[in-house]
Amino acid sequence: MSLIDEDEALIAAAVKGSSYAWEKLVKRYEPRIYNHGLRLTGNPTDAMDLMQEVFLGVYRNLHRFRGDAKFSSWIFRIAHNKAVDMNRRKKLMTVQSKADDDFDILDSLPGEVKTEPEHRLNEQELNLQVLRMLAQLPMEQRLIVEYKIFQSLTFEEIAELQDMSVNTAKTRFYTALKKLKVVLEEANVLSQD
Amino acid sequence: MSCPKTEHLTKEYFSSGLSEVTKQEMESHLRSCELCNQELESLFLVQSNLGNWQDQRVPHWDRGMELYRREHGQNESQGRVFDFWRWLPTATSFAMMLLVVFNTNLVIGDQGVSLSFGDSSASSDLESRLDVFQNNQQAKLAEFVARIENRQDSNNMQLMQVVFDQTQQTTAENLERIYTFFEEQRLQDLEDMRVGYQELANNDYETIRSLEQLAQYVSFSGEVR
Repeated sequence: MSLIDEDEALIAAAVKGSSYAWEKLVKRYEPRIYNHGLRLTGNPTDAMDLMQEVFLGVYRNLHRFRGDAKFSSWIFRIAHNKAVDMNRRKKLMTVQSKADDDFDILDSLPGEVKTEPEHRLNEQELNLQVLRMLAQLPMEQRLIVEYKIFQSLTFEEIAELQDMSVNTAKTRFYTALKKLKVVLEEANVLSQD
Repeated sequence: MSCPKTEHLTKEYFSSGLSEVTKQEMESHLRSCELCNQELESLFLVQSNLGNWQDQRVPHWDRGMELYRREHGQNESQGRVFDFWRWLPTATSFAMMLLVVFNTNLVIGDQGVSLSFGDSSASSDLESRLDVFQNNQQAKLAEFVARIENRQDSNNMQLMQVVFDQTQQTTAENLERIYTFFEEQRLQDLEDMRVGYQELANNDYETIRSLEQLAQYVSFSGEVR
């Protein structure tokens, strides 16, 4: 049984009232949705809020899922809408905001990882570097980068998800990468000083 | 200085599903255009830096279970009674317990597979095989112990012989040394005695001479009177 078939079986069981199937479905997708939220919002609290809103949306609309698209595409469409809504409300991770100051990624780490301080520090540094870069982008560019690089979607899939032309998606992605290139160059210059 | 193709090329480079012709045109241009090459490499570097992201674990949350159960009119027990796979571990444990309680035997032999409960020919056969195996093991163990004992005795004898030889040799050497010491003492005593006698003789000689002188003196005094 492929993963997609298994998704459909879990969805069918969850719609019929199996809490076990629902829990399994959530467990399967929560790491992707949470990390997606973490990169978009820049902090664990907002990422949790976004994830909970996404799964609430999934729960409310699960009976409408027809299986004509992949469940992962469907859930990311919900996630996209929720992220846009949340950004409208909270202006997520605007430049010089939480990614630099308040964000403490240690809060989101489980106890097990805390037994390896060096590993944890390294991981934290790398993730903070990514968040600092993403924080320089406006939300629409951050979303394109997220979908293209982290979710490995094609420009066609991104265009469909965001209701835009493929060319706009490509242009936006290119603009975002050029901006990040400048950010990276400036960061390298600063670190050399 | 810039290349007019840079933007179009870099935009398209990240697209999937490019035709072979387009790919070849791009590669051809990249081989000849340093500017496009540099631009593309710098964008790859950005991509690579973003790729350093390490997925974080999701903090604990209830996964909407409370809402789900509430809206589906389930409480903890209701929701689980009919999810038969939740009972799977318990059922497996129960089945294992039954197998143990009823002394179930599964024998796979030349005649095929047989399943039996309690005492049976299979178990008696197994017991007889176990007895034979145990007897063999005991015989081997006894033989092994005997070999070890023999070897130990032989080693002890050799050891005693060596110790005895060494002790004998040492005793003879010690007696020789004591005899030499006594001999030396005896010779020294003889020498001492000889010297003593000599001194005694000398003293006697001196005494005689004194007596002679005294006698001469006495006789001389008498004559004078």
